[in-house]
Amino acid sequence: MISALLRKRELRIRQNILKGVYEDNLKIIGIRRPVIARNRLFYVKKAVPILFIAVLFALGHWDYIKISSFSEKEVTASPALQKNLLPFNPAVPPAGDMLSAADYQGLLSSPDISISRVFGLGVKTIMIDPGHGGTDPGAIGKMGTMEKDITLDIARRLRERLLKYGTYNILMTRNDDSTLPLNKRVELARMSKADIFISIHLNYLPSKPINIIETYFFGPSSDEKVLKLAEKENAGSQYGMNEFKDMIEKIGETLKLQESRTLALSIQKSLFVNSSRNKGDIYDFGVKRAPFVVLLGVDVPAVLAEVSCLSNKKEEVELNDERHRDNIARYLEAGILDYLHKGELQYAAKRRAD
Amino acid sequence: MPQKDAQTEKNILFAGIDLGTSRSSISASNSTREWVESYVGWPKDFISQQVVGKPVLFGAEALKHRLSLDLSRPLQHGVIKEGIEKNEDAVKEIIKYLIELAKPEDGQKIHAVVGVPADTLKVNKLAIRKAVAEFAHSLMVVSEPFAVAYGLNLLNNALVIDIGAGTTDFCIMHGTIPTEEDQKTITNAGDYIDDQLFSYLTEKYPNSKFNKNMVRQFKESYSHVRDIPDEIQVEIPVGGKPVMHDIKNEIRRACESIMPAIVETITEMIARFDPEFQVRIKNNIVLAGGGSLIRGIREYIQDALKEYGPCNVISVEDPLFAGSDGALKLAKDMPEKYWEPL
Repeated sequence: MISALLRKRELRIRQNILKGVYEDNLKIIGIRRPVIARNRLFYVKKAVPILFIAVLFALGHWDYIKISSFSEKEVTASPALQKNLLPFNPAVPPAGDMLSAADYQGLLSSPDISISRVFGLGVKTIMIDPGHGGTDPGAIGKMGTMEKDITLDIARRLRERLLKYGTYNILMTRNDDSTLPLNKRVELARMSKADIFISIHLNYLPSKPINIIETYFFGPSSDEKVLKLAEKENAGSQYGMNEFKDMIEKIGETLKLQESRTLALSIQKSLFVNSSRNKGDIYDFGVKRAPFVVLLGVDVPAVLAEVSCLSNKKEEVELNDERHRDNIARYLEAGILDYLHKGELQYAAKRRAD
Repeated sequence: MPQKDAQTEKNILFAGIDLGTSRSSISASNSTREWVESYVGWPKDFISQQVVGKPVLFGAEALKHRLSLDLSRPLQHGVIKEGIEKNEDAVKEIIKYLIELAKPEDGQKIHAVVGVPADTLKVNKLAIRKAVAEFAHSLMVVSEPFAVAYGLNLLNNALVIDIGAGTTDFCIMHGTIPTEEDQKTITNAGDYIDDQLFSYLTEKYPNSKFNKNMVRQFKESYSHVRDIPDEIQVEIPVGGKPVMHDIKNEIRRACESIMPAIVETITEMIARFDPEFQVRIKNNIVLAGGGSLIRGIREYIQDALKEYGPCNVISVEDPLFAGSDGALKLAKDMPEKYWEPL
């Protein structure tokens, strides 16, 4: 009697499992659409900027809010547009010396100059941060594709690609499916003395069936005067970006802001231009300033790239294709290299040849 | 268990395929059991095609001719080959080759269950489905440790640890299809041992000539953890002359290098369960994959887990076919109605 009961129970378990396998595979080919457990997370994500603005408002930093919520949104990856829509209002009015505001703006808005080049800094360590992980799956597509898996895969590919140059030290905040809180990522970037920090994420827009690409950076408003000065004093120094950081504490924030923005523009441009070459239906949401914690706490140029959009069904299918993920890694690589080699004639010539 | 009637059995060939990083195998309902090393090679040019005499080579044969071939190990963990196209083709070729090995009769439908490493499965489900679709009439993909567990009838309160080449996959079974939380993958596995062993040997014998392939063979012949009484000596050429080298300590160090991470993951995964079930799972730890052949590995894990109370670790009998046998069992048990839409 008991053994019959046990057998019955086992049979039930077995049937359950078989059905589970079947449903899993249906999901892979996209026949059934399970409930998306992502909505809440998404709103939480979008709520962060709003909360931040509210806090700023309370602190009376109204000037900053104007900048972050209006001008930045207009900025796109296109260098032409970027000149017209200069996002930075000089926080400190130019003193009566020989440097004029136009000088700063010229420097800051020029797409041809990267500060790391101006200062002769060698970028040595690049830290890649695959978004989410472990118990936090990030966005989940209709077929069950998880953001954390895709970001990790792209990050690994990006690392392999960058390692090939042999000149960069590439670090990852996580290299497996582990849970890593944001503050831990920031800590890792700090402790490892990374020179550039790139966080990879996927977008999720439940209400719009579109595919968008956007890149975020963080930075408070700038003090360009010090920046210009530092450029003169430090040209040709052999310091790494991180060692250098200590010396220029005063302008550190400015530098980071400017560099993060340049890096973000470079990455966004590469991502969008290349992705849209393959398929037309992608929207360029440009480069935005946003108070993401990962970017906030990192002391060096830091960007967060939303490289694709998991809510778009077609895009989800493609993200499951190795080639697409490899392409995204390639575009990121191109964006980073463009940033690092800005103004180098040799590199520009090589790129054209490609 | 649902029994298929004789009619269906005749028209359909059920196949369980285990797509591994290092070795792939097939078990079919016509009792075929075959395996191949997961290498695919295409002749580099016209001359090499003349030399090897085939348009595509597999496994050991491909390795033997590797100098004349573009060699691909399609599921190698995290490595990007030049040309992703080739990778996808390689998966396709392996599947095609394995199914040919199973010798389906003319007109026979093929229903296949394919087990792949858990990590690969996450982002490559569609690609793998696409690669297999050409050669099977209906197919399902599952994670490898799950297929092993199903094959061993470990449906409830068990922990399967599949130590492969690229990854070690952990999968807890508790009566349902394992969810995300029930599975974990770490990269401490066979390839990692090879890398360690290679660097240890290079350090100890800087003048001897050996390559990754030789190191892998040393590992496969002599792998062990904990102390063993035997001497381990291998022949490695020095200045062209074969010389015996003692590699016992290096092998042990290399094999033990993956153990801390494995033990840590076991305790971490078990600790997440209800204490009552923890005991049951601890008594049902199963080692699979090539790594389960490491001498002393069961005892090592049992020792390491001693402080957490008694536990029982067993190794699967036939690690090479445990995955494909499990996949075949899944295929046979799967109700007919489930196959149709796939």
